[in-house]
Amino acid sequence: MAEELEDLTDEMKAAVGQETGRSTYEVTTQGIRTFARSVGYKDEKYYDADAAKSLGYDGLPAPPGFLGMPIFNPDAGAGARRELFENPFNRRLNGGTEVEPIEQVYGGDVLEAVSRITSLELTQSRLGKMLIQNSETVYTRESDGKVVAKTRGTGLSY
Amino acid sequence: MADQIHWDDVEEGQEFSLNEPMSSQRLVVWAAASGDFYQIHYDDNFAKNNNLPDIIVHGALKGMLVGRLLDEWKGEQGKIKNWGVSYRGMDPARQDLTIWGKVTKKYEEGGEALIDLDVGVAQPDGTQTTPGTATVALPKR
Repeated sequence: MAEELEDLTDEMKAAVGQETGRSTYEVTTQGIRTFARSVGYKDEKYYDADAAKSLGYDGLPAPPGFLGMPIFNPDAGAGARRELFENPFNRRLNGGTEVEPIEQVYGGDVLEAVSRITSLELTQSRLGKMLIQNSETVYTRESDGKVVAKTRGTGLSY
Repeated sequence: MADQIHWDDVEEGQEFSLNEPMSSQRLVVWAAASGDFYQIHYDDNFAKNNNLPDIIVHGALKGMLVGRLLDEWKGEQGKIKNWGVSYRGMDPARQDLTIWGKVTKKYEEGGEALIDLDVGVAQPDGTQTTPGTATVALPKR
């Protein structure tokens, strides 16, 4: 079916703009330190809350791009997603990521992440027919209701 | 702490970079940090059985290394407005990657002093796998 698909199905067209997932992300201080270590930061403000406070931060700051981890549910998996349409392609690639940091995120923050499909496109690639799915996730801090970041991603199915 | 960079001192064409070793241990730490436990990133046998030359650096790790490059370059008084990268090629682990930025435009808009950049990740032979762009606000003198 995948290679015969000539256009987006009605189900795919209807999915654009729809919510695909809603998850709670916890930003822990240990999560911040592990992220900072893996990315290679030497800046002590990402490891030591007192050092961060001496620079004017309210707590241990998260480096740009770190938005915590979704609470793991052994029955549903982390960050469970709603499948809004039948995807005939079974191979997937991560095509890209965009980050828009808006507010400083801190250890202890709890974020609600809401994802939507922003566009779907069927195209011919060197790997064969390909479905390009763009999506956006908005992260809102539970304690003050502020949108702290938006991320955009491109998923490739072929 | 690095000296604060100011918008006034930045010139179009200016370049800066990080050289980062991509050991298997680092990819395991990233897996813990990100929750991405796909075995092509840390299991040699799994990677080889998937016709890969070696375990592969996570795309998201490369994206966040670009974030670190920008975060350290902008200093305490700067602000990253946005950055984005496309994953155009795989980077096998156990080699150094160069994370780079190049200033493409310097302008003022909405009361902010802004810098646009091209960013990317390069393998030791110069192969570019992760091109992207970014916008950063910097303080003026």
